[in-house]
Amino acid sequence: MTVAAPLASASGISKRFLATQALDDVSFDIYAGEVHALIGENGAGKSTLMKILGGIYQADGGKLRIDSVDVSYATPAAALLSGIVVIPQEMRVVPAQTVAENVLLGQVPVRRRWGVLPEIDWSALRARAAELVGRLNLDVDVETPVRRLGYAERQLVMIARALGRSARILVLDEPTAALEAREVDRLFDVIHSLKRDGVGIVYVSHRLDEVERIADRVTVLRDGRKVGQGIRGALSQSDMIHLMTGRDLEETLHHGGKRVSGAPLLDDDDLNLKSGEIVGLAGLLGSGTTEMLRRLYGANKDNHPIKVAGERISFRSPAEAIARGLGVVPGERGLGLIMGLTVRENIILPNLDRLKTAWGLDRKAIDILVDDLMETVDIRPRDPGKPVRELSGGNQQKVIFARWLAGHAKILLLDEPTHGIDVGAKAQVHKLMGKFAADGGGIVFASSEMVEVLSVSDSVIAMRAGNVVARLTRDGDYTERALREALGG
Amino acid sequence: MAGARAMNDRAGNGSRLGEFLWNQMPVIALIVLCIIATILSTRFVSPININNVLIQGAVMTVIAIGMTYVIVCGGFDLSVGSVVALSGCITAMVMLEYGIIPGVIAGVAVGAAVGLLNGLIVTKLDVNPFIATLGTMVMFRGATFLITGGRPIVGDEGLPIPFLDFATERLLGIPYLVLFPIVVFVIFHWVLHRTAYGIRVFATGGNTEAAFLAGINVGKVRTSTYVWCGALAGVGGVMLCARLQSGQPTAGSFYELTAIAAVVLGGASLFGGEGKLYKSVVGVFIMVVLANALNLANVHSYWQQVAVGVVIVAAAAADRLRHR
Repeated sequence: MTVAAPLASASGISKRFLATQALDDVSFDIYAGEVHALIGENGAGKSTLMKILGGIYQADGGKLRIDSVDVSYATPAAALLSGIVVIPQEMRVVPAQTVAENVLLGQVPVRRRWGVLPEIDWSALRARAAELVGRLNLDVDVETPVRRLGYAERQLVMIARALGRSARILVLDEPTAALEAREVDRLFDVIHSLKRDGVGIVYVSHRLDEVERIADRVTVLRDGRKVGQGIRGALSQSDMIHLMTGRDLEETLHHGGKRVSGAPLLDDDDLNLKSGEIVGLAGLLGSGTTEMLRRLYGANKDNHPIKVAGERISFRSPAEAIARGLGVVPGERGLGLIMGLTVRENIILPNLDRLKTAWGLDRKAIDILVDDLMETVDIRPRDPGKPVRELSGGNQQKVIFARWLAGHAKILLLDEPTHGIDVGAKAQVHKLMGKFAADGGGIVFASSEMVEVLSVSDSVIAMRAGNVVARLTRDGDYTERALREALGG
Repeated sequence: MAGARAMNDRAGNGSRLGEFLWNQMPVIALIVLCIIATILSTRFVSPININNVLIQGAVMTVIAIGMTYVIVCGGFDLSVGSVVALSGCITAMVMLEYGIIPGVIAGVAVGAAVGLLNGLIVTKLDVNPFIATLGTMVMFRGATFLITGGRPIVGDEGLPIPFLDFATERLLGIPYLVLFPIVVFVIFHWVLHRTAYGIRVFATGGNTEAAFLAGINVGKVRTSTYVWCGALAGVGGVMLCARLQSGQPTAGSFYELTAIAAVVLGGASLFGGEGKLYKSVVGVFIMVVLANALNLANVHSYWQQVAVGVVIVAAAAADRLRHR
């Protein structure tokens, strides 16, 4: 399967960003016809390594060789010329243009009218695009505007574009994060056929079962260092977890199952939340969990009636929901925080009316409140005047929690609150959630990480394509397998 | 905690000074400009010239204050120049008919009304602010010509004397025309930087979606900034009407561009969420002093325009460099 020399090899790569050593003496290589998985927790250095391969960053130290020749390229364009294509999670497609135009973006075939005037050769464009798309078994008319395609199809358009540039190494960044099981199967078929054509594939993922399924080799990064490597079958999933985290899985938090739940806080067709309870909302990207939270929060303006503390009500805006004791932590921190404002201002934002006096804001009351909350949720550094954009992801998330604690919220709606923050901060967020529930609050907690949602919640609602497909309670079949079956179908 | 902060201060002393200087760049630029102007011509520091500079900056200061609200809230207002003309003419017409107070109120109210219209077009119809206010700018310039027939409004015996006195009289040696913007500035500075409403303006401009999810009525906040901006442009129109002793339908042309340039020179971000009111005023005076200094140095007015353009581009580029 493998030939003598690797297609590309990186040896002793180091990269530093200010105080952070993102990569420290990491070696990584990829052979033709091989799938080499790169795994690690957030912040382990996966994306930095990917970006060095893709020419977006330059390494501080180490060697990059392609076909056994030393290279140093400084731009993505140079990486493309060397045959390395990175497929990022956010699809770089032009929605208004057709599949054909997107596949051949930047490589549009040109002919010369009357031997002089250059113009686009539309028939050649269609034919070439159709051929590339056909190689991926993507059944779509190349004249279709990409805006009409779903995520999975857009991803294949990106891969077709890579093939059009005769890519020899394809770097896939979390390619299945937003795919349904059926689409994952199709992607894996494509990967297998690319392997047969001799393409080397770097597969970055944190879904270990998929890594086990598809990877010929696995490299594990932790804190910027390579901590393990193995060929197919050499590392079990628990080995990988152990290498990634430096500890065993069972230490992760288990809050649920024991607390007695109290009075009803929030009732909707699909959901009943009681005081002291954490209800999980499990679903992949685009499964409707985010929509459900927004609806409960009055952010969708659809006058959807719900029951809050037994009273029937429909929120027309988040302001009304907040007045009734709801608080939301949106999926992307960028949606929850105003990055340019200070920690203090972000915390008091929904509570401004309580902190007003006739002569402006009650600065003394604000200082006492903010200092107290920063202590409670442990925001570091303890500087209320710092703009939140200068805080780490975990601390930013704690600022949003502090905001709702300041407003005495009774119900928290959390959308992927631990996405993209490091393990330590994650544990702290889980602890805050547990404490909030223990103090009589209720939490609806949406997450696509099944282990996390199961371990933190008292019961879990599984969603797919906008519908509730299953309900898991602790006295029933409350297992990852059951949840996976419900979501994957 | 205090100890830790003190340590931090000491450690970051160099960069803190650098940051401070960067942040005060508009102020430093204005001071440097004044020094150069003084060297070039001793007339620059003469009482008459200083008086001139202050009066030239007075109307624009009031307009730039409103513009800062809109820009900090993530918006944009091209209609202020037309509002200055419309408000000035309405003020003159109403004043000739009903007296000074109704005239002034009508001028400011018409500005606020145009601002409200701008705000509603932007928030309710979801039209891009640039296009929305481009439309109202043309619309109300046309309306001004319609109601005036394209002629200045002076009346048979001129505008009432007490009104014209506002543009020429002084209190304790300072012209009313200069004192008045100071009062406006103090009030609007307090509102923007010291009140709950001010935080909402910054939050809405910094991240509209996040502000919405934090329970802020972002539509209302955005609309309100257009109302302030329109009303202050109306005030500017009244002031200019007093200075010109007439309602001029052609008044205020290019004022919108000067005001936006002043706000940007003052370091406010056109993406919203960033800005300081006093720096916008500094921005106004950078433009006024620059023009004045070039005048004193006998630079042709055509060249002055070129110079002002260069300064605007350079300031914006310097700001991008800082953010890199």
